[in-house]
Amino acid sequence: MAIEIKVGDRTAWVDLRGQDGNLLEIEVDGKIMKVDVMHTADGTFSILEGGHSYNIELVPHKKPKKYTAYSLYEEYDVEIIDAEARYLLDRGSGAFGSADKEISSPMPGKVVKVFVKEGDEVKNGQTAIVISAMKMESEYKVPVDGKVKKVNVKDGDTIEGNQVLIELE
Amino acid sequence: MTSIKKILVANRGEIAIRIMRTCREMNIEAVAVFSEADRTSLHVRYAHEAHLIGKAPSNESYLNIEKIIEVAKYCKADAIHPGYGFLSENATFARRCKEEGIIFIGPSPEVIVQMGDKIMAREAMTKADVPVVPGTAESISDEKEVFEVIKDIELPIMIKAAAGGGGKGMRLVHKESEIESAVRAARSEALSSFGDDSVYIEKYITSPHHIEFQILADEHGNVIHLFERECSIQRRHQKMIEETPSPLMTPELREKMGQSAVEAAKAVNYTGAGTIEFLVDNNLNYYFLEMNTRLQVEHPITERVTGVDLVKQQIRIAEGQELEFKQKDLSQKGHSIECRIYAEDPDNNFMPSPGKIYKISEPLGLGVRTDGYVYEGYEIPIFYDPMISKLIVWGKTRDEAINRMRRALYEYKITGIKTSIKYLERIMGNAEFIKGDYDTHFIEDHQKELMDKSGHKDISDMVVIAAFIDYLQKISSSENSSKDFVTPQSRWKNIPYINHF
Repeated sequence: MAIEIKVGDRTAWVDLRGQDGNLLEIEVDGKIMKVDVMHTADGTFSILEGGHSYNIELVPHKKPKKYTAYSLYEEYDVEIIDAEARYLLDRGSGAFGSADKEISSPMPGKVVKVFVKEGDEVKNGQTAIVISAMKMESEYKVPVDGKVKKVNVKDGDTIEGNQVLIELE
Repeated sequence: MTSIKKILVANRGEIAIRIMRTCREMNIEAVAVFSEADRTSLHVRYAHEAHLIGKAPSNESYLNIEKIIEVAKYCKADAIHPGYGFLSENATFARRCKEEGIIFIGPSPEVIVQMGDKIMAREAMTKADVPVVPGTAESISDEKEVFEVIKDIELPIMIKAAAGGGGKGMRLVHKESEIESAVRAARSEALSSFGDDSVYIEKYITSPHHIEFQILADEHGNVIHLFERECSIQRRHQKMIEETPSPLMTPELREKMGQSAVEAAKAVNYTGAGTIEFLVDNNLNYYFLEMNTRLQVEHPITERVTGVDLVKQQIRIAEGQELEFKQKDLSQKGHSIECRIYAEDPDNNFMPSPGKIYKISEPLGLGVRTDGYVYEGYEIPIFYDPMISKLIVWGKTRDEAINRMRRALYEYKITGIKTSIKYLERIMGNAEFIKGDYDTHFIEDHQKELMDKSGHKDISDMVVIAAFIDYLQKISSSENSSKDFVTPQSRWKNIPYINHF
């Protein structure tokens, strides 16, 4: 069953070619790799390839088929694009928003102050909102020149990570 | 002399556990207090007793003096240990403890007022002939005053919270245009962190080293120092890595600064454990910066090279006992380094990264200590400090300690949130750091190299494989009809980790 998997900016085509217990033959973007994969009881994928050992952890997101993958040094956003996901994507209800028209905070926290309101003409670089988390205040700036379409939060609100705070037109 | 049988720890997180560990060794019962956000925090589970003291924001819980006193009286605690931060340098709290007949493990309220107010502290030090950094003798009331002051002591300047510490309520100003927002930010941070928004100005010393001395003083007039800690590796004026001995230190300077630290403590009749922070310039001139009238975050490195349990000494001093050792009994054995592990994103201007911990593998092995409090499945609250643990190593030499730290950081894995671990690992590999040639600008000056993650093999293929196998496993466990893929139970266990979420 071949599917596509998005890892960071890369979209890889992957298929299972053969299996003998935990010894697998997997094709990734046309390259066939022989790997020894163990999903250990503590939740790590231990992969041996050509004698090299890799440990990968997959942390599931709230949205299905999305993960953050951790290797020793890197962190990757991972998304499974199977038939179902593709169908949803084609219908335009996929998870890809127009990120540059939104202001969101990667972390949960509290809204200290919102500086813009609906209908405001805003300039790239202008401070739109101040969020406080862990005793640190961070300013979020307008990413593009434009007009404020919607402000979803107000001063004092508690917010979640990656929540859309302000939408631009 | 009193014998302390029960201590309320008025703090949370790693330091609460650190204190309780010593309590257990001394057969003292430990009482935890916690906010609504901390019900699942490990310090609550480690303690003999635990009591809820209020809502998540610290001013409604960990800073609520009367509530904490009420709990202490209710559970008949003999003493309160304030840890660091929160009420540790709050004179009103120390005074209230005294009034209620509870021992406050720390110096007297008078000393806290004097040293806690950085302006009064500077005065006291000047009187005791300890050199201080040039700056304002009084707190400033508005931005206009700053413009007056910079006519005398030129920019750059530091704006600091009079009640400050730990890098909170502190702003560096290079340009006149930055003054207004810097004063405002320092004020607002000072108010939320310490409940006092007065700030003062200090000349900013370029290329400074931040070196501090640990002191212990008993109620019988004995004062000793436990040598220095080099704390120059900082980001946003907050320490990231500390080591002892300092690579900058010479035996002569150590002798001189140690003596100054002891004099400083004596000048204010200090009792308990305290830290005198100095700025040292490249010519080895040193200036008193501030005194922290509490246990420091980085105290374990001093414990490691001297063999002294500082919390135990604090408790003994609070009981009225005499110090067990004299200056000549102490020496620094080997080298110790501490790395602070923060829940933050080093790739994104060290932005805090609270959230749920997915998995932790802690480093172990010879010469490694971790002081932490988070565990798998724990949700780090947004209300408190982003520091989640401290990694402390010891080595016979500085080189050995650095190599050991690098190894320990390699072993340390925390997923689910972003942490400073890999960033710290890169610092351990930095040539200037290894040479010991650094000042407080190290992070800024080496930003590019420290952000450079090249040199690691692209292993996205392996990530694809892991995600693919995970997908196949999920498919085959949901529909048994799949013939494409066999998931032998003995090979791929159905692991319970998903249940954490």
